[in-house]
Amino acid sequence: MRRPAIYLGVAALLALGTLLLPGGDTPAGATAPAPPAAAAPAAPACTPVVGGLRPQGALPAPGAMPAGSTMAAIVAKGRLVAGVDQGKFTTGYRDPQTGQLQGADIDLVHQIAAAILGDPDKVQFVVLDIADRAQALVDRRVDVVVNTFTITCERQKQVEFSTPYLAASQRILVTRGSGVGEVEQLAGKRVCTSRGSTTETVLRGLPLRLDVVTYTGIPDCVLDLQRGRVDAVSSDEVILAGLAAQDPQTEVVGRTLVDASYGVGVNKGQTDLVRFVNALLERSRADGSLAAVDRKWLSVLKPVPQPAAARYRD
Amino acid sequence: MAVPPAAGQRRRVPWSGSSTPDRLRRVGVVVVAGCLIAASVSLVSGLARVDAVNEGGGRVAAITADAAELYRTLADADASATTGYVSGGVEPAAVRARYDDDITRASTGLVSAAGRIPGGDAAAASVATVAAQLPAYTGLIETARTYNRQGLPLGQSYLTSASTLMRTTILPAAAELRRIETAALAQDYASGGAFPFGVVLLGIAVLAGLVDLGVREYRRTHRVLSPGLAAASGLVVVALVWWVVVTAVAGSALSDARQRSDASTAVDDARTAVLQARSNESLVLVARGGGAANTQFVAQLDRVLGPGGLLDAAAAGGADVGAVRSAAQDWQAAHQEVRKRDDGGDYPGAVASVVGNDPNGSNVTFQRLDAALGAAVDAQRAAFTAAIGRAGGAQTLLAAGPAVLLLLAAGAVVSGVGRRVGEYR
Repeated sequence: MRRPAIYLGVAALLALGTLLLPGGDTPAGATAPAPPAAAAPAAPACTPVVGGLRPQGALPAPGAMPAGSTMAAIVAKGRLVAGVDQGKFTTGYRDPQTGQLQGADIDLVHQIAAAILGDPDKVQFVVLDIADRAQALVDRRVDVVVNTFTITCERQKQVEFSTPYLAASQRILVTRGSGVGEVEQLAGKRVCTSRGSTTETVLRGLPLRLDVVTYTGIPDCVLDLQRGRVDAVSSDEVILAGLAAQDPQTEVVGRTLVDASYGVGVNKGQTDLVRFVNALLERSRADGSLAAVDRKWLSVLKPVPQPAAARYRD
Repeated sequence: MAVPPAAGQRRRVPWSGSSTPDRLRRVGVVVVAGCLIAASVSLVSGLARVDAVNEGGGRVAAITADAAELYRTLADADASATTGYVSGGVEPAAVRARYDDDITRASTGLVSAAGRIPGGDAAAASVATVAAQLPAYTGLIETARTYNRQGLPLGQSYLTSASTLMRTTILPAAAELRRIETAALAQDYASGGAFPFGVVLLGIAVLAGLVDLGVREYRRTHRVLSPGLAAASGLVVVALVWWVVVTAVAGSALSDARQRSDASTAVDDARTAVLQARSNESLVLVARGGGAANTQFVAQLDRVLGPGGLLDAAAAGGADVGAVRSAAQDWQAAHQEVRKRDDGGDYPGAVASVVGNDPNGSNVTFQRLDAALGAAVDAQRAAFTAAIGRAGGAQTLLAAGPAVLLLLAAGAVVSGVGRRVGEYR
């Protein structure tokens, strides 16, 4: 008699237990922690190479290059392979309407092609990432790099530069009407530049307590400037000129913070090509064609930067 | 030995202390109580299961489908925006229309998801992120378009910035929303297919009580069964068998549904990865130097096609991915041709492949791949719905049926014991 009651009592308790227990597994929330950013080791101090390779003899006629030289190989290939950029207004950018590359650097590439091959359009443009410019020359993927390639000590270890063809002074870009004329007026404010550049080092070194923000590229800085998230952008004057030309509400101001210059990059072993380019640049400086290119593209800068006189080391 | 009692006489029976009718009544009450408790537990459990599969599951399934669609339309919008940019100054009307349609659908899906998710739910944070960042994304895309119309390359930076926002903030939030809803759905279905311990234990206890009662009566009176108790035992057994069979059938249908759901998620992920790769292909073409690199394309396609990748996961869940795999390989080959042209300086040739009508070009092969993926997703969703339908069908009358049987069993016990008690008057 008691047994059914016992059965029922136990069963009822167990049944109550199974109904009350929460069912199912809680999904495991796996969050992968972000890997810590590795800090780049500081580069050891570097002794810069001053001066380019002196041109030897007169410039050969287009198409008639000395046998066995790099230029003869280019003539045999039928085109000059040049590493350029497609996003820098006025120096190297792609016109969305025509799909063609245009700019001051592009004009220089056409001049080099005309001097070697006789036809300025016999060029194959290869668009390079900023970080890839030196490696592209080392790997011989391109013959020359004309891409606002600043001559720095670090890069001189990997590639050979021609004599400077344009000054790369570092200045600042601010909103028009902000009243800022020099970097000192930005004390305590936010300034943006590209990560790992010499500008970043210089800005951090100034005794102005600047809040330095860095991005991969300078145009990203301009996006922040337009949205009011930073007060100024600092970089090469020529690059800033291109950005100021696209946004008339900005202007390039201030004195030169760092003096640098752009050169044509060439593979370290191809010294004959370097001398050829240097000879071409000598001629362009002398006959004013280089200055004309600068005036055509960089008139937003006042004064228009002029190419410095060449110095040679041999 | 049974001695029919004389009318009006009470027989003295050799039982410890209590009279037989009283004892019978006590046992009868206990067994009837057991049947009633079992009936109510069966009713409650049955209702909970039917609800888990049909209504509750229907609501969560709708949210999960919405979340998956949101995820896909956002990635499709990004791919349309970047591809439109490749075409040059003014993007083709069809691409523009596709982008606008995607943004509209994403916004609508967002509103409906936000309406269905209760505030304070873990998914609400993801919905809030997408809702806050989607206008920022569209703003960046429109600014990119404006600069592009004026022929200024600053638009490339806006395009890259927009695509990065989509890839690093908006899409992960949408993926999180989908993941939360899919987990909730799986939980609902798991409870629908779990073994009904409560009902089975109670049923077995009642059966044990009935059997015990029957065995004692047999020992005493050598009468095997009374019809009432026999009927009650039979009804309890039928109710238990009903429960076990339905649980087995529904459980297997639900686990099939779960497999289909996993396969559907894998194909959805593959579709989004392909869209992200398409976006990257266009971005590298127009905005290189701003951080876009072909390595991302390679990584996305590897996620899809690689060993143990998304297509393999989908195939494991029962999806037919043969057509998708071959379409993906075609597109991969077309993309490599695009890279070769661009790296070799033939920009117009690369653009023609990405936006043109060449049957071996990147555009046409991509559209084929997208269509194949869409068909695979639809097939998986249809199979999923069919499996849920099977589970729901198996569960018809699960709430009411066994409960009614158990109530009838209680009635049969009452009549059986009552008849037996009546024999003692």
